[in-house]
Amino acid sequence: MRKKIGTAMVVGAGISGIRSALDLAEFGYSVTLVDKAPNIGGILSQLDYQFPNDRCGMCKMLPLVNRDSSSQYCLRKGLFHENINIMLGTRLTNIEGEPGKFKVILKQKPSSVDPDLCTGCGECARVCPVLVPDSFNMGLSERKAIYLPVPHNIPNTYTIDFSSCTRCGECVSACPTGAVKLPEEKRKNFNILVVDDELIVRDSLKEWLEDEGFSVEMADSGQTALDMLKQNTYHLMLTDIKMPGMDGVELLKEAKKDLPELPVVMMTAYATVETAIEAMKQGALDYLLKPFDPETFTPKVLEIYQTLEVVQEIELGVNAIIVSTGTEYFDPLQSNNTFGYGRYPDVVTSREFERLLSGTGPENGLLQRQSDKKPLKKIAWFQCVGSRDIQTNADFCSSICCMHAIKEARLVKEKLGHNIETTIFYMDMRAFGKSFHQYKNQAQNEYDVCFSRSRVHSVTENKELGGLMVQYVDQKGTRNEEQFDMVVLSIGQRPSSGTKELARITELPLNKWGFCESEPFSTSLSSKEGIFFGGSFAGLKDISESVIGSSSAALSASRFIHSIGGSLSSETDEEIELKDVSRQMPSVLIVVCTCGKPQIEGVEQEQLKTNLLRDPAVNDIVFIENTCTALGLSNLKEVLEKSNANRMLIGACLPHVYTGKVNQLCKGTGFHPQAVNVVDIYSQDALKAKDEGGQSLESIIEQKLKMGFAHLKRMDPPLAPIASSIQKALVVGGGIAGMTASLAVADHGFKVDLVESQDQLGGNLFWLKSTIEGNDIKELFEKTVKKIENHPLVKVHTQAEITCSFGSVGNFHTSAHSKKEDKPLSFEHGVAILATGGKEALTTSYGYGTSKAIVTQKEFALNLDDGSINPASLESVVMIQCVESREQDKKNYCSRVCCATALKNALLLKEKNPQVGIYVLYRDMMTTGFLESYYTRARKEDVIFIQYDVENKPEITKDGETIKITAFEPILGKNIEISADLLILATGLAPDFSDAMAGNFGVRKDEFGFFQEAESKWRPVDSLKEGIFSCGICNSPRNITESIATAEAAAQRALRILGDNKILAGSIVAQVHPSLCSLCERCIEACPYDARYIHHENTHVAVNPIMCQGCGSCAVVCPNSASALAGFIDQQLFDVIDSAF
Amino acid sequence: MSTFSKLEVKDKDIVTSLQGFFKTLLESKKIDAFMVPWHLPMKEVVMPTLISDVEQLDKADPLAPSFPMNAAKIASRLTKKPAGQTIALVMRSCEIRAFIELIKLKQGSLDNTVLIGIDCLGAFDNRDYASFAKKEVSTVRFCDKILKDKSENIEGLNLAAACKVCEHPVPDNADIIIGLYGIDYQSELLLEAPTVKGEELLQALNLPKTSESASRQQAIKSLISDREAKRDKMFEETSLATSNIEKLSGYLASCVNCYNCRVACPVCYCRECVFVTDVFDHDSFQYLQWAKKKGRVKMPTDTDFFHLTRMAHISLACVGCGQCSNACPNDIPLTELFRTVSHHTQKAFEYEAGKNIEEPIPLSVFNDKEYEEVVGINKQSTE
Repeated sequence: MRKKIGTAMVVGAGISGIRSALDLAEFGYSVTLVDKAPNIGGILSQLDYQFPNDRCGMCKMLPLVNRDSSSQYCLRKGLFHENINIMLGTRLTNIEGEPGKFKVILKQKPSSVDPDLCTGCGECARVCPVLVPDSFNMGLSERKAIYLPVPHNIPNTYTIDFSSCTRCGECVSACPTGAVKLPEEKRKNFNILVVDDELIVRDSLKEWLEDEGFSVEMADSGQTALDMLKQNTYHLMLTDIKMPGMDGVELLKEAKKDLPELPVVMMTAYATVETAIEAMKQGALDYLLKPFDPETFTPKVLEIYQTLEVVQEIELGVNAIIVSTGTEYFDPLQSNNTFGYGRYPDVVTSREFERLLSGTGPENGLLQRQSDKKPLKKIAWFQCVGSRDIQTNADFCSSICCMHAIKEARLVKEKLGHNIETTIFYMDMRAFGKSFHQYKNQAQNEYDVCFSRSRVHSVTENKELGGLMVQYVDQKGTRNEEQFDMVVLSIGQRPSSGTKELARITELPLNKWGFCESEPFSTSLSSKEGIFFGGSFAGLKDISESVIGSSSAALSASRFIHSIGGSLSSETDEEIELKDVSRQMPSVLIVVCTCGKPQIEGVEQEQLKTNLLRDPAVNDIVFIENTCTALGLSNLKEVLEKSNANRMLIGACLPHVYTGKVNQLCKGTGFHPQAVNVVDIYSQDALKAKDEGGQSLESIIEQKLKMGFAHLKRMDPPLAPIASSIQKALVVGGGIAGMTASLAVADHGFKVDLVESQDQLGGNLFWLKSTIEGNDIKELFEKTVKKIENHPLVKVHTQAEITCSFGSVGNFHTSAHSKKEDKPLSFEHGVAILATGGKEALTTSYGYGTSKAIVTQKEFALNLDDGSINPASLESVVMIQCVESREQDKKNYCSRVCCATALKNALLLKEKNPQVGIYVLYRDMMTTGFLESYYTRARKEDVIFIQYDVENKPEITKDGETIKITAFEPILGKNIEISADLLILATGLAPDFSDAMAGNFGVRKDEFGFFQEAESKWRPVDSLKEGIFSCGICNSPRNITESIATAEAAAQRALRILGDNKILAGSIVAQVHPSLCSLCERCIEACPYDARYIHHENTHVAVNPIMCQGCGSCAVVCPNSASALAGFIDQQLFDVIDSAF
Repeated sequence: MSTFSKLEVKDKDIVTSLQGFFKTLLESKKIDAFMVPWHLPMKEVVMPTLISDVEQLDKADPLAPSFPMNAAKIASRLTKKPAGQTIALVMRSCEIRAFIELIKLKQGSLDNTVLIGIDCLGAFDNRDYASFAKKEVSTVRFCDKILKDKSENIEGLNLAAACKVCEHPVPDNADIIIGLYGIDYQSELLLEAPTVKGEELLQALNLPKTSESASRQQAIKSLISDREAKRDKMFEETSLATSNIEKLSGYLASCVNCYNCRVACPVCYCRECVFVTDVFDHDSFQYLQWAKKKGRVKMPTDTDFFHLTRMAHISLACVGCGQCSNACPNDIPLTELFRTVSHHTQKAFEYEAGKNIEEPIPLSVFNDKEYEEVVGINKQSTE
């Protein structure tokens, strides 16, 4: 794995943090990925299903080239990457130093369970007497004080929740490997001084604290306390505020004079909270509210103790920081209308519902009525709970809840059958992504999910039948009441709890809703150099937007690190010569680690040895104690050096612990890492099998060793193929996306050829003037073009058309024709970024073309610009949204930009002429995220919004110069007629992505004519063909900022490949035995990565190992194993199956 | 739409008439060679033979009840790579269907070929044909027995098991189909040209036009329904005889791993079978390991596994030609087994092997929603 000297820290290890970290690590930077939680994955660790395929797919984010540098299994379970250091249970507490040379202070909670020893057997949790709500299941189930934060992690180490732990020590004695150590001893040395004038308070506090194992002394006045502080060392002082004589605040001041580091916590009653807060400004650490009871007091002190004493402080130097701490969710109890949440068990939040749906959830995915465990027949979703709600300070759209609710409704139908009734109560159905509208239509038409545009008023209990009664008002204003078994509140997003603290540390401003906001035209730039935003930290994003945003953040960080020299010098691993043992007769050395508990000893060892040595392929079997320790490894090295074995099997616990160690060992000995197999012989299922089956331990170990042996015996360790790579990029399309991508790549020192079919760069930026937020597009346009023109590494080819392209990642050859010079151009490049853009769609609807007064949004902008429309002369303007959009066979997707444009135009017209009447005829206002506030503003400024359905579209008649629009007004329940002197049609966006373009680069078009991404959520800018990326409108409908983000993401994806002059394939790749190949080509059809082709001699099928991802589909379809997957050949698998039975 | 012409039969000798027809075609120079069953001079054996000399067609006998191999394999060899000349392939219905499957598997091509199919009267297995040949009964007599007497017992010999249950007596997908069923075959044969290629060839011969008679359609229909009834009975019996792994093992017990069946199988297209590669070349130690584990191991090993693998590999392409049974030295009724299994697998994918060249092989197609009750991750139950 290449390593560059640049370093970055990513704060937050949710999906965004993981994406940023992987992007930077793949380019070669060292990344520290920190998260305060004890696990990675963030919110997604609790979500099992994501649309559009209603499955997961997170693993698709794993590296595709140089795959061996990373773990290659379920990403929800864990991540290991050579260049990523993951620090869990860790908080960022301070940033010092300059951009590029940051010194970050991290605080990491040490684990009381040793991850190297914990086998995840669960004995500790079995004996733990404490039961508390399990946050993983949103409190719907209970867990112990020692618990697994996520049930599916690898490695899955138990964690102690000290705020609920009683320190009874049961877990310590129950642990078979001695992994649990309670930090009891340390507490004895932690001296607490309790200062209070009331004896009863002093006494009870002393008792509680001593129960927790602390050393406690008491003082009855401020003065006594001061004296005691002079004589003894105290680690924490708890002081009352109101005391006769010297009060607490005074004591604090005095104490801090001599002991500025002394942590002081104020104790106060409600009346003096203000004073306590004041005291914190003078250096108090925190305050505690009286009256005390041990249930609240003790955990609070323990928390303080944890942060003060137990937590380890780590200092780290990093060049750049990406903040991707995500969002949290709205608590419905904070709202005026809780819809019965917290009172009726059948009212749950969408996140709770997600856990109820999950197979690992509190009810194992068995959905039932929470109140009486009866079967569910009707479920309702309430949208916009804590979103688009000024009362809860949420004049924004959370952007994710509509799709979330649709997905849940569909999943319910799939799980419980189509008879179950599902209703979504909503205001606007914001299915605004490329495929979202279709997903929603499927929900409506194929799944019979009922969509009810109404306002829910209240929820009451249905005392007779059980379940709930929902009172709501529909669009006509009619009041309805309906029975439901369950109500799911689609709760909105809020800034994550640490946002304020992070804002303080990073010195970044927060917007009025408490989010950090990125700079204009960027989703990732903060106002501070060297600090970047990934994912939803800086706004409300779904998974795919987060993935794009965090790749864009990685790009920004990478560009910054490069600019300070971080990628200039690189150190690559020494090339080590590995012994080629393929085709040698197998001779396997078996190493059994003996530290396991229970152990196998003398006689059992001998028996095992005798049994295994029967196989002539076994070279020897040796027993080594503590194999994974330094001593054990050096013993192992000695054995290995003396041995003439050509493969090695290690039987131990926790195979993942060995990954790095085995590589290290192999480097020293020339042993091929793939010729080593580590099997878990002491795992919990082995112990369980022993308990239940009465099988002897050595026979279980023997069987496990035999299976590992079987896989290894015929392992021909493949050497990962290496291909050369051209470190140049081709960018097609010179709009804002293409230009941004070009600059992003070129700024890293790589050459870029930018091909544009028009005679000038700029695309849609030509006619756009400013965004709804008032950001200057013209300035952006000029600045970007200037940068491109002045960049020494970007070569622009205008008036050029791509004619053909072939090759594979790292080595593409593309030809183009320059119309300007009338000559052919040819490019050799390692990657291509397609940014061919899109245009405002044409229309023939609503009388377009028959009158000058009927214009499209673009024409309106141009006319306004050249003065042919004078806002002052307008009396009435009508805007029709979704023209020939979101309909079967008519741009059946949301173009995303038109609602914001309509609002922009409406507000602009109102500003120039407050008297003008503006009517917006819309289907769903797609003002997602912070755009919502402009919708609110427009309504306040008397812009009139009239909702229409696709079955009942507005109609146009002309009366001389005046246009008459007839539309059904749903609130009035009848048709209304509006006379307009201007009708603006929102015709949406159409991609400019020809079949020829897709064909030339070997990528696919989706059903709407856009670029078909490899996966809409996890690989939104990649094609399935590695090395080809896309961004901007040809990828999906986007506004400028979003287009820029996709361009940066595409550039970052490209940089992973451009970063080196060679590409390393994975070692698990497909192979073909030419003498067996019948050329039936079924493998070519089966390969999803276009990695197979007919050999030029036309004798057999061949594999491009760089494109091959080792999925094995080809091996499956090949009847005679002419096609096989290295490391998983038939013989190996037969042997493994054989040895298992 | 097919066009129909008449081919006159002289002296009630359909074999000579057919030879004459082939000769005319070869003489027309539109065809460079014929692949057609042909009586070998050295022994009473009929083999697919590639003929370019008109005179040699005198011994062509596509109706002889001999079926030593499925000629689809030969057709594949002749067409896998361009030969630059046009070959007329005279094949039985099951041979054409197998050839279609092979083409889908890129093992052959229809380019530069003319497929000539003849209503199939069935054939004996190899052993019975040898007896039949000894009796010196003519092919014409055999045809009379089948077509006129409607008997499947000829001189004490029965048609092969596969032929008895064959529901495809009339070939599909040929360029020229020569009809025998339901017509006065002793005086004329029906020539059907379902394709442009066939039509052009026949047009040049200026044969009298005709149409397909209702009696022919009726005859075919009733023959097929008879066969289907027999077939279904066979399915039932075979299913019963192989309904669990023990019974299946018993059914296949006399297999000696000679692999003749897969050599004979027209759709077993691998250049070399995985069962003869080193995948199944187990270590000597392994055999002893197996013996030790269970106390004994039947040798040769992997016989059931071999047949199960073959079922997995080819049941979707199986055309029921019966060559597997024909090739088995130990008389394992493989045809019955493979046809029964294929019937179910092909039905499951709504696919019929050899029927339509445009229809993709089921396992080469990915459907988003298919067998959700089997593969659906989210499905807890179908209801």
